[in-house]
Amino acid sequence: MVNNLSILFIEDDVVETMKMNRTLVKLGLIHAIQEAKNGEEALRILMTKENLPDIILLDLNMPKVNGLEFLKIIKADERLRYIPTIVLTTSNNHKDLLECYEIGIAGYVLKPLKYEDYVSKMEKLLAYWSVNELIKA
Amino acid sequence: MDNEKIEILERALARERMARKEAENILEQKSLELYYLAQQFKEANYALESLVARKNIELEGVFKNIIDAYCVLDLYGNVLEMNSATYSLLGVSKGSKTINLLEFVAPEEKVKTQEAVMEILKSGTYQDLRVKIISRQGEFKYLHINASLILDGYGDPVAIQGIARDVTQEKIMQNELIESEDRLKLIIQNLDTGVFLEDENRVTVIGNNKLFEMFYIPHTIDTFPGNDITNGEKESKTLFLEPEKFEQRIHEIFEKKEPVIGDELRMVDGKILERNYTPFIRDGVFKGHLWSFKDVTVTKKYSASLEAQKQKFSNIIANMNLGLVEVTLDKKAVFVNNSFEALTGYSESELLGESINDLLQNTTEAKLFFNQRVDETVKDGSNSFEGQIITKQGERRDWLISSAPNYDINGIVIGSIGVVLDITDLKALQKTKEQLLTKLEQSNTELQEYAHIVSHDLKSPLRSIFALVSWLKEDNKDVFTETSLENIQLIEATLEKMELLISDVLNYSSVTSDTLEAKSVDLNLVVEDLHKILYFPDHINLRVINKLPTIQGDQTRLQQLFQNLISNAIRFIDKEKGLIEIDVEEQELYYKFSISDNGVGIEEKYFEKIFMIFQSLNEDKKSSGIGLSIVKKIVDLHKGKIWLNSEVGKGTTFYFTLVK
Repeated sequence: MVNNLSILFIEDDVVETMKMNRTLVKLGLIHAIQEAKNGEEALRILMTKENLPDIILLDLNMPKVNGLEFLKIIKADERLRYIPTIVLTTSNNHKDLLECYEIGIAGYVLKPLKYEDYVSKMEKLLAYWSVNELIKA
Repeated sequence: MDNEKIEILERALARERMARKEAENILEQKSLELYYLAQQFKEANYALESLVARKNIELEGVFKNIIDAYCVLDLYGNVLEMNSATYSLLGVSKGSKTINLLEFVAPEEKVKTQEAVMEILKSGTYQDLRVKIISRQGEFKYLHINASLILDGYGDPVAIQGIARDVTQEKIMQNELIESEDRLKLIIQNLDTGVFLEDENRVTVIGNNKLFEMFYIPHTIDTFPGNDITNGEKESKTLFLEPEKFEQRIHEIFEKKEPVIGDELRMVDGKILERNYTPFIRDGVFKGHLWSFKDVTVTKKYSASLEAQKQKFSNIIANMNLGLVEVTLDKKAVFVNNSFEALTGYSESELLGESINDLLQNTTEAKLFFNQRVDETVKDGSNSFEGQIITKQGERRDWLISSAPNYDINGIVIGSIGVVLDITDLKALQKTKEQLLTKLEQSNTELQEYAHIVSHDLKSPLRSIFALVSWLKEDNKDVFTETSLENIQLIEATLEKMELLISDVLNYSSVTSDTLEAKSVDLNLVVEDLHKILYFPDHINLRVINKLPTIQGDQTRLQQLFQNLISNAIRFIDKEKGLIEIDVEEQELYYKFSISDNGVGIEEKYFEKIFMIFQSLNEDKKSSGIGLSIVKKIVDLHKGKIWLNSEVGKGTTFYFTLVK
């Protein structure tokens, strides 16, 4: 059985958000996407502690609270720390990769140049998490 | 006849009778006296005889018993009589048969003895005959003999008597004296000091060879005549640089007759002499004097050069840029040089005698620290340490101090010497350098970060454009003309190349020594991996000729190195059957690798250029022109070299070295 996921999508780039939405439509997937423009906004959403997302897709380069800072904050939180967080980034900086895994992430996906490659990666990513058993809030 | 007459006659007769009677009485008395006298004479004679006899006996006894040998010989030398001393002198026993003295005379003395005997016969005596004899026992003895002739009643010679004394001991002593005189003479002769001794009349008693040599006098000790030196100084004065002064000084010394030590004389030939004068005065009377001259040229020159050296070092010490201070065991300054004054701000007079560490420090800890270092130096030998002092002006200065124990001529430590280098500026410089380094490191890291951010920021819009163009194409598939679709494809290709360029620039900037890790890397595994990862078209073969080594280096970078070179080779192969060969040659200090292909080849004029950044030789959309720059950078970082051989149309071989 395939779950419909509740996803917190943290991304400051409008086109990226469009890409995600268009991808879901293209793939015919019905996941609930909650958008946050930056870490600050995302935290505000999470702090309500209602309807926590199943997974978080996180961009690293963002204004205000950036990805790494956001990651540190939720990993320090007793409840939020259990939400699988997948980093979605352009940075193939080895340092970033290491730091992210150190703090604690569930995946690290590089954004490809080509849109088709992106669609293909997202399809696999979402399919994977759809088959996972998740802690429901 | 008258009575009177008779009476007169009778009276006369009576007187005659009386007189005769008287005369008879006198005669009788006289004859008695004579008798008595004769008697007395007889007695006296007897007494005298006995006295003579006694004296004779005594004399005989004396002769027999005197220590000196006495003997009487006939004219041929045969012993008539001799005393016991003579017996023992000749070493013969009493009662021996006739002894002839001449037999005892040593052969070489025979002639002399004969002559002496002749002299005795002629003149009656011979005194002071010295003759060597050989006793019966074979001992040599030296005798001193006085002899005289004995004459009979008619004045004819009948015998010789002689008295002899054994002077062997004397002779030995005399010989010894001669020997010691000879020795003394020899010593004087060979003295390294020129000497001559003059008596009170300034007549030379002795002078030695060294003296003659010094003064160019054509004599030796044996031929130099006793002479008046007044000529000597006149003759010799021309040998000296200041002849008049030399002569004058000799007269002056001689007038005073007082000892003179160490007069320095300079000779024309360059010699330097030291003159000593010693007068001999006994009981207030001048008896002569000794002049001695010592050649001190070498010593003088040595001490002159020593003096020059000393001067030189003094100058160096005084003027060197290093401060120098000499302290006693209780750290009081006894010597400082100019630089030390300049470094401390104190003048010499302010420093000398002062406890140096008290003067230059203001805290108990600092004073203790410096005092301990000085004590260590005295105890353990040379030392060097850094510390901060405070100048007279109150400025803090950093010093590097090298200290060493100071010894007196007996090798006893009397303090220490410190050589001071002011390293304040150096320290400041060092600090600045450290700060700069930290800053550089920081900015390097920042730059690294910056490169990542920039590449991210550049890639994001590309990605967005790509997505948007894709949607444009997707949404207008049926509307767009073929040309438009082709253009969209070109946009996509351009975006791809743009992204590759950004990646490579980032890659190139990431290759720095900071990010280099040194590990053992098996290059065989590296190449095997690449064989799997890289896309090899079917017509291209990769061959590793010799087994590759394991070297110390950065795994990622080494992989990149091989990857870039191999993929270059793949890209430029234009033959039907492509061959890429990897080989290695072990050298003493490094490995020489080669990667060759049978591709298009490179013109020689580009051999240098291709390693420069952004110098791509063709318009391949898949080439950013950075690949070989990265290769060169990696080789450089591994302290190697890279070069190539190529022939257009035939192929290219890249060579590079990596240190073992």
